[in-house]
Amino acid sequence: MTAETVGATPRRKRKWPLLLAFLAPALVVYVVFVLYPIAQGIRYSLFDWNGLEPLTEFVGLENFGQAFGDKVFRGALGHNAIIVTLTLLLQLPVALFLAVLLDRDLRGRALMRLLFFAPYVLSEVVTAVVWRQIFRPDGLLDAGLSAATGTQVQGLWIADPSIVLYSVFFVVSWKYFGFHMILMLAGLQQIPDELEEAAAIDGANWWQTFRHITLPLLGPTVRVSVFLAIIGSLQLFDLVWVMTGGGPVDASNTMATYLIDWGFRRSQFGYASAVSVIIFGLSLVVALGYQRWVLSRDVDGALTVGGA
Amino acid sequence: MRSRRSRLMLLLTVLAMVLAACGGDGGDATDSTDTTAGESEVTTTTADSGTDTTEGEPEAEPVTIEWWHIQNNDPGLSLWQAVADEFMEMNPNVTVNITVQENEAFKAALQTNLQAGDVPDLFQSWGGGGLREQVDAGLVQDITEPVSSWEDELQPAARSMMEIDGALYGAPFDLGIVGVWYNRTLFEEAGIDAPPATWEELLEDVQTLKDAGITPISLAAGDKWPAMFWYAELALRLGGAEVMQAAGVDQNFDDPAFLQAGEEIERLIALEPFQPGFLATPWDGPDGAAAVLANGDAAMLLMGHWAPGTIQANGPDLAASGELGWFPFPALEGGAGDPTDAFGGGNGFAVGRDAPPEAIAFLEYISSVEVASRVGSEANLLPTTVGSEDSITDPNLVEVIEGRGEASYVQLYLDQAYPPEVGAAVNDSIVTVFAGTGGPQDVVDAVNASWE
Amino acid sequence: MVDLALGRREGREPTRAYRGHSPISRGLLYLAAFTVLGAIIIPVAYAVLGGFRDTPQLAADPAGLPDPWVFTNYLDVLGSGSFWQQVWNSTLIAGVTVALVLPAASLAAFVIARFEFRGREWIYTLFTLGLLFPVAVAILPLYVVVRQLDLINTPLGVVLPQVAFQLPLSIVILRPFFASIPRELEEAAILDGAGSLRFYWSVLLPLSRPVLSTIAVLAVVTSWNAFLLPLVVLTDSGGWTLPIGVTNYSTQYTTDTARVLAYTTLAMIPALLFYAVAERQIVRGLIAKGIKG
Repeated sequence: MTAETVGATPRRKRKWPLLLAFLAPALVVYVVFVLYPIAQGIRYSLFDWNGLEPLTEFVGLENFGQAFGDKVFRGALGHNAIIVTLTLLLQLPVALFLAVLLDRDLRGRALMRLLFFAPYVLSEVVTAVVWRQIFRPDGLLDAGLSAATGTQVQGLWIADPSIVLYSVFFVVSWKYFGFHMILMLAGLQQIPDELEEAAAIDGANWWQTFRHITLPLLGPTVRVSVFLAIIGSLQLFDLVWVMTGGGPVDASNTMATYLIDWGFRRSQFGYASAVSVIIFGLSLVVALGYQRWVLSRDVDGALTVGGA
Repeated sequence: MRSRRSRLMLLLTVLAMVLAACGGDGGDATDSTDTTAGESEVTTTTADSGTDTTEGEPEAEPVTIEWWHIQNNDPGLSLWQAVADEFMEMNPNVTVNITVQENEAFKAALQTNLQAGDVPDLFQSWGGGGLREQVDAGLVQDITEPVSSWEDELQPAARSMMEIDGALYGAPFDLGIVGVWYNRTLFEEAGIDAPPATWEELLEDVQTLKDAGITPISLAAGDKWPAMFWYAELALRLGGAEVMQAAGVDQNFDDPAFLQAGEEIERLIALEPFQPGFLATPWDGPDGAAAVLANGDAAMLLMGHWAPGTIQANGPDLAASGELGWFPFPALEGGAGDPTDAFGGGNGFAVGRDAPPEAIAFLEYISSVEVASRVGSEANLLPTTVGSEDSITDPNLVEVIEGRGEASYVQLYLDQAYPPEVGAAVNDSIVTVFAGTGGPQDVVDAVNASWE
Repeated sequence: MVDLALGRREGREPTRAYRGHSPISRGLLYLAAFTVLGAIIIPVAYAVLGGFRDTPQLAADPAGLPDPWVFTNYLDVLGSGSFWQQVWNSTLIAGVTVALVLPAASLAAFVIARFEFRGREWIYTLFTLGLLFPVAVAILPLYVVVRQLDLINTPLGVVLPQVAFQLPLSIVILRPFFASIPRELEEAAILDGAGSLRFYWSVLLPLSRPVLSTIAVLAVVTSWNAFLLPLVVLTDSGGWTLPIGVTNYSTQYTTDTARVLAYTTLAMIPALLFYAVAERQIVRGLIAKGIKG
């Protein structure tokens, strides 16, 4: 019923003026304010530049070599990898679970949807302030655990270099899962009730319905969500910066906090631009690969137009 | 869409700027920026100046001074506004446009402006390596000549903060030194009669405090620079002024004093004198090192002259009750350094390359004894004009300013004195010593490497 | 089939209550929901309650309730003219941003999703590039561009770059949704003599309300919390947005944390309200019919 009929219309192939007209507003703004600055940024990466003097010291790929040779940067890269993995394994399933939950007939779910989204709306600065208070020695978390276990708990949640990354990950998940949740909610709305009804009538229980009907139809949305989660994890900056500054002793550095530290703090803008290009390059590889092998499925469906 | 008030403001601003643009060079007249601070009293001021210009003296050309400072709260905010108003009254053809921002916001905004070539006429500066970069980029003005008539009014150590290679690029308005702030009551509890005068005594006192169940030292290693303070003080005591200055010239930390300083730090760390979680503790904030001291959870804190303000904000009782005391960093027997040498830093205003002579005149006014005394009495800063020291009333700050007066040499904070990347390397590597992941030699190596 | 797509049950909160939900599983669902709710709410509540304390309280007793309750933080913020000025500025900028993002992104995504042309994937990839580059470095050249266009210190100087940076995300999200609209609808529209624009306006957009509302919410929230771009573009403090305004409660060495908490709690409310309104669009615009009696 739906498989062959979704998607593009090949008849429209040659309507170039129309296409350009539709694309124009987005393209113009995009080229001026996004592509041009990015191109400049790539240009800066080839120089040794402190952000104040004119661009004179061309150093070619030296900045890149320096980055990969710096163990702090490699550490940051590793941290990003950990965060990507944990996000996919933990954060997304929870977001999906909550979206499905909030789609059900539960009382008070309108309010719950509002509250679940609140962390995403909260600014990064305040998120950091609040969670620092929660994580500090004898803070809210310690107090809660002490009350729950009856012992005096004093954990070094963000002071211990070996666990700070996971504490940071927890806060990142807390803050951003709302984003994925509303994405999935929107996706769930497109699944006709009839299908689930029919399955229920046929005797399928909730899990079977979910697995065979909901999840596949939610596929495109989930794939977009995963894509954005991976890219977002590679770019992760704001929250880590205000919570730990990448510390202590670089234990929670991400590539982006490393770049701000070296770019703005140390006035090495050429180097910072090079790190940006590295982040950009990595993200591009992921994006292209993902598009080619995963997302193309959703596009393929659109391209396989059954006959005229 | 816009409110009537903002439209009126916009109109008056445009008027003022058009007039300013018609007249003297007023460096940034080409921007369409209205840089008045947002409160209504400032708006009126700008409007008044605009009106004054139109009906004022036909001889003097209207001039605009763009002034960027970071005293974004009272009392500093009102003080600078008043100073600007007074200057404008005395010089009716001058308009002072104030842009006031919070510290980090200022750094970001200044960066973009400098990069685009829009240099403010007077702007916040911490001297040292940051100023040197601006000098090298040709963004600030050499004012050695114009100020030669009054530069002796400036406290020498403070003046050298704004000097690069002998030339002056701005004027200071605040210079403080770092010392140990301590809780008198906790000292008494532990049985310590007098603050330590030597490093060995300090280490002993640390042990005494620990035995009494008191956390000896509050340290904000999360912000890194407070950790650097301990190292820098020790290096200063061990190596003395020449070594510290030579390090900047020779661009390395090869002198044995630096290695020794690291070893002394390790001795301190071995005593485990810090509050729990100190590696992530920031300076400020309810979870900060200042708050730890304010709550009576630690006895000592090595910090600069702004400490009472932050301590007070996080817990008013300590400062108010007179329990807060100050003593200078102890002497180190066998060290090459003079015990009166001080380590500190402050604030000043740099002069932008396109600044008109009126900006320098304004700077002279700010540096005058009258204004400087108000800086001391109203703004809780330590003014740098000779003769204004008496304006300080807080007994602890009196001791600080006396310590500053006695010092024959003031070493600027290491992350200000040296170029930014070196300063960052110093901070980062020292924190690794505190975290136990690095050693004194690693500090030397990291710093040397960053200087290349 | 056409019915399926066009038939909608407006005006009623859709439900997916199917039979076979035992009380136990319902109970477990509630339990799960409340656990997660707790984990989410407590920090937010902390922020809200923190505004009712003063900073020394926060320093001395991190886990406690306000004691005594301090109302001056909230009252002073609400009473300050600059706060409301900033609310207005933030609203203006967010509003214009969203008003521009929606048409630009939906038109572009429409073309990319439903038309076949050479270079289509290249255009799509081009748009995704904006997601991949750290904004903090792009800000320096971006500032120069804004300055050259003489947009410094204007809301438009913030809006246009924000729109541009919001496009990648919007297009990436919109594309699969637009692509999944059944072709029959398009064919039916063509039979009715409608062109692409008509189809876009009268069929595609109405059907895509959930995802368009999602895009709008994301654009508004991103704009609302944006800091770096407004900071460097808006030099006059009268034009400041809320995230910049909060920096007034910090100085070089000290922050009035309790006031910051009060301020940001209040600043959060308009964005949340917008979400509450838009969210009903996300959930209401159902394609399915729900249970009939």
